[in-house]
Amino acid sequence: MTTLAERRSLEPWQDPKAVPYLRIERVTKKFDDIYAVDDVSLDIFQGEFFSLLGSSGCGKSTLLRMLAGLEYPSSGRIYIDGVDVTDVPAYSRPVNMMFQSYALFPHMSVEQNVEFGLKQDRLSRRERTERVAEMLELLKITELRKRRPDQLSGGQRQRVALARSLAKHPKLLLLDEPLGALDKRLRENTQFELVNLQERLGITFVTVTHDQEEAMTMSTRIAVMDAGQIMQVDTPTAIYEFPTCRLVAEFIGSINLFEGKVVATEGNAVLVETRVGRPMRMHSFHPMVLGTPVTVAVRPEKMRLCADFRDDGVNQLKGRVEDIAYLGDVSIYRIRVGDGALVEMTLTNVQPRTEQALTWEQDVAIEWSPSSGVVLTE
Amino acid sequence: MPAPPPNRAKHTHRTSRLVNIGIPYLWLGLFFLLPFAIVLQISLAEPALAQPPYTALWQWVDEGLLRIEINLRNFMMVAEDDLYLSALLNSLQVAFICTLLCLLLGYPMAYAIATAPERWRIILLMLIVLPFWTSFLIRVYAWIGILKSKGLLNDLLIWLGLIDTPLAILHTQTAIYIGVVYSYLPFMILPLYANLSRLDMSLLEAAADLGCRPMRAFLRVTLPLSMAGILAGSMLVFIPVVGEFVIPDLLGGPESLMVGKLLWTEFFSNKDWPLASALAILLLALLVVPFVMMQRLQQRIEGGRP
Amino acid sequence: MRRRRWPLLTLLAFGYAFLYVPILLLIIYSFNESRLVTVWTGFSTKWYVELFRNQQLLDAAWLSVRIAAVNATLAVVLGTLAANALVRHRHFRGRTGFELLLTAPLVMPDVIIGLSLLLLFVAMQHTIGWPDGRGFTTITIAHVTFSMAYVAVVVRARLSQMDRSLEEAAMDLGARPLRVYLTITLPLIAPALLSGWLLAFTLSLDDLVIASFVAGPGSTTLPMVIYSSVRMGVSPQINALATIIVAVVTLAVVIAGIAMRRGRQAR
Repeated sequence: MTTLAERRSLEPWQDPKAVPYLRIERVTKKFDDIYAVDDVSLDIFQGEFFSLLGSSGCGKSTLLRMLAGLEYPSSGRIYIDGVDVTDVPAYSRPVNMMFQSYALFPHMSVEQNVEFGLKQDRLSRRERTERVAEMLELLKITELRKRRPDQLSGGQRQRVALARSLAKHPKLLLLDEPLGALDKRLRENTQFELVNLQERLGITFVTVTHDQEEAMTMSTRIAVMDAGQIMQVDTPTAIYEFPTCRLVAEFIGSINLFEGKVVATEGNAVLVETRVGRPMRMHSFHPMVLGTPVTVAVRPEKMRLCADFRDDGVNQLKGRVEDIAYLGDVSIYRIRVGDGALVEMTLTNVQPRTEQALTWEQDVAIEWSPSSGVVLTE
Repeated sequence: MPAPPPNRAKHTHRTSRLVNIGIPYLWLGLFFLLPFAIVLQISLAEPALAQPPYTALWQWVDEGLLRIEINLRNFMMVAEDDLYLSALLNSLQVAFICTLLCLLLGYPMAYAIATAPERWRIILLMLIVLPFWTSFLIRVYAWIGILKSKGLLNDLLIWLGLIDTPLAILHTQTAIYIGVVYSYLPFMILPLYANLSRLDMSLLEAAADLGCRPMRAFLRVTLPLSMAGILAGSMLVFIPVVGEFVIPDLLGGPESLMVGKLLWTEFFSNKDWPLASALAILLLALLVVPFVMMQRLQQRIEGGRP
Repeated sequence: MRRRRWPLLTLLAFGYAFLYVPILLLIIYSFNESRLVTVWTGFSTKWYVELFRNQQLLDAAWLSVRIAAVNATLAVVLGTLAANALVRHRHFRGRTGFELLLTAPLVMPDVIIGLSLLLLFVAMQHTIGWPDGRGFTTITIAHVTFSMAYVAVVVRARLSQMDRSLEEAAMDLGARPLRVYLTITLPLIAPALLSGWLLAFTLSLDDLVIASFVAGPGSTTLPMVIYSSVRMGVSPQINALATIIVAVVTLAVVIAGIAMRRGRQAR
């Protein structure tokens, strides 16, 4: 399966000449003495599906609200399409937002909800009717147009909210946890629909989410936030495969971390000595000084069973299976290795469960290749 | 809370502030706060046969000479005459006893309503509020017909053979208690209900699960958690009852004098505006402490909300 | 938790009986033929006929209704502004004082409010010549002063329950703050405004003490007429009046209840 990110040929963030559509410049937001957003700078390009990812209280929603004009930065500037909108109130910004609670007006019908923004623009009645019809059509909710919000299901409400925020044809759409209120099954279907819609309309989307899977499937790029700061901005693949810090590595998926220090450098690889005993040889993108304390990070699915375990082999560990979590498609094995640390390994269940290779209390050897992990310095 | 927004937004924000805060503030300042200053001023004046019937507190005697006369006559009168003092004390006593009675009757009622099945709750609550929408004066009047010596209550008791001669209830302190509890009971029940209905009943289940008997669970869980409601209800009853006029006037007698009735008499019958003002000031002083308590409590409840 | 509820339910029944038996007796004896309220001599509606012939009482009732309506409208406006201030402007200088001024009228004894406002009006007339005489205007001002506090309580509760993101969404869709308030906020708090209006109306219609202080000669409100007639002794006309009031209020409550239920079912 190709990720959506790979389907997009255009990668403007790698083009030094590209002009960002949305520029966030050293934005800080203080509530009393707490920094909700702390010196954040970001460039987001036309047509991107950009996700702000982080756990609750990391400042992602505050940042989004500042983009909408519902909060004003304590310092820093925000530019949309080259125009400084930092001080422009919400009602004058060329931006629309889909709220987490959907915020559908309970005293108005679906139609009236979608029409609300158009009325504020003083469009003629005919234009409004046409635009409403177009939006209802686009989201396949035409037959709901006379209903009131409390007569709609969760999924229907989400569509109405989307229709309403798209009705004004904004160039930039902000989505606060767009799928947060849906149940799991509906969420998965909606993810793809949302991406298709975005590609079709060519609108720039900025979403906020705490769900890493959601961010991975939908986004062109992800900014991982923590404590008001951006930890890493990159494509989903890069965020997953090449996290730049422990926090990002641990936040996305599960990962095995081995602390140690650099003992040798060999070309574009480093040799790391860790507490689990065996030296590890890993590829490294930047040169490292001998003795630097580092963490070797390897994803569980990059681990494999080792056929020929050698006493002097690198990237090899011996241990005993302690726990097995059977998830259907894959199984997760927790293996107790040399110094008592637990290492996770994921194996695809090619055979039926009864015929699986590994069982509890079994001694195993595992290994991984130098290119299937990263060396983190922080 | 949005920070003070800049530029255009700031302007609308400021206008909204000015209108929303300014207008009610101005009204209350002019028609609620300022009058107290005037009451205080007149309480220090002397009655006079004039229009208005009191002496001026200050006077420009000469160019640059201002004569201020502060007259403590009214407060001295109150202090020296047993009538006023006993009326003040009796008012406090009535308010206290009635608050207690309202609580004793109102708490179980509020509890029963709060724990009633959902569909009953609205109706039961409606029935508590309903009398409040009918005339207070007429509801007090209803008790005259019931309590008087040839009234319905005495008729009933004699018919039942419980008494031979009619009880004298009307124009006694007892009649005041009945009238006050009757009129103010909804004020006790409503805040209690609001409090109890928000109480998480699973707390009681947890207490029971941990081996706590119902009575004990009530004393250790429900009661402490409903303290805010108890205090709010008590203040809503206590404070206005201290200055109540209609009930002591219609149901009370000469022995059950209350300060509200006294103030009314001084003002309307004796035309002694300064003395009435002095009584108002004393009454106000009595109520400051419970009022501040209520205000604190309210702020704490609001602050405590997530 | 269900067991042993009967002591509680007995008490509840007693409480309701306590609240309603006096009212029921009033109603029953309004149909009594005898002038002596407590002696039943036979069914009659003559007190109702007499009530509607009592021009003084009818005039007073009309004055009271007009005052109550104007009062309720002004109180809703002022009370809503005050509620906006408390819910929307969480920090402002003098907020504590503002809250104090807004809570005090809820519990302040009527005699104090009445006396102090009368003294204010007298002093104002003395110094600036307004209000010229006392009556409709002064009674209305006095009533607004305490009933706006009740309205503020009701509206504030509703306003603070409201989902702020609805207003934010409207603003995000291009509506300016005043427009947001008119098209989103007001319709959503409308039920509170209505109950605030009715509350203020009732409070005004019910007030004897404050009106007695600030009324001038020639402006006699309904409670003042009732009071003077009650002071004379029990009068079956008052029973008839009470019955009418109870009937109107019950009808209003029942209609409101049905309307609310309809409204809920329609959704």
